[in-house]
Amino acid sequence: MSNQQTLVEAFSQGLGIDASTVNDDLAYNTIPQWDSTAHMILISELESRFDVMLDTDDIIDMSSVAKAKEILAKHGVPF
Amino acid sequence: MQLSGYNVVLRDISQSDLEQLRDWRNDPDIARQMISQDEITAEQQQAWFMKIQRDPSQQHWMIEYKGEPIGSANIKALYARDLADASSIEPGLYIGEARFRGNLIAFAPTLLLNDYCFEVLGAKQLRAVVKRSNQAALKYNEKLGYKLQKDAELCELTLTASDYQQATGMLKNLLSR
Repeated sequence: MSNQQTLVEAFSQGLGIDASTVNDDLAYNTIPQWDSTAHMILISELESRFDVMLDTDDIIDMSSVAKAKEILAKHGVPF
Repeated sequence: MQLSGYNVVLRDISQSDLEQLRDWRNDPDIARQMISQDEITAEQQQAWFMKIQRDPSQQHWMIEYKGEPIGSANIKALYARDLADASSIEPGLYIGEARFRGNLIAFAPTLLLNDYCFEVLGAKQLRAVVKRSNQAALKYNEKLGYKLQKDAELCELTLTASDYQQATGMLKNLLSR
């Protein structure tokens, strides 16, 4: 499975949304499903699927799918 | 008194912060959520500052994130003249910098305040009064473990230490790395 597919699955699972709605523009707090609680679940999904440990700045900055890719790339996960 | 943790610092308000506070407080997006929407003058702001400095029933702070002021937080004793004697405390805060509103970091100052109220001041209960129209604040308080006690134009919510601990474990962990 590609990193892109894994990312889409993590978002879909973490936020409880259909995989087809996950795109780079999807942003925190712009859909009811992506609230603070879902954000925490999403972080844990991303950390376990990509085997990374995000720091607090990353968690706070992760404001969209595009930003998540940027942050994961910084942790050695290419897209 | 300065409190720090969860990546933010709560520091005492100084004279030089007053204009920044007044700008934020008069911002229509913030004023709308307050009980009074009256424009605050420089004289009123100064009088408020003098009052809070000699009032042991309340404490106010500037919230700083990465060295930058982003908002203001406070606690007020309920049914007591001194915070040290209060079993019920009402915390309040607003995020003045728009880019941090709705961000996970907005929980950090509240976690610090609540820890301080329960663990240092020994409060038994925290209370929040929120306009029913301010759904974001109601939801925010719910995430912290608050329970709705009165559903009215001005909703009343309360929080016990155990509900708080139960609701915020994961949040504290993420903001403490």
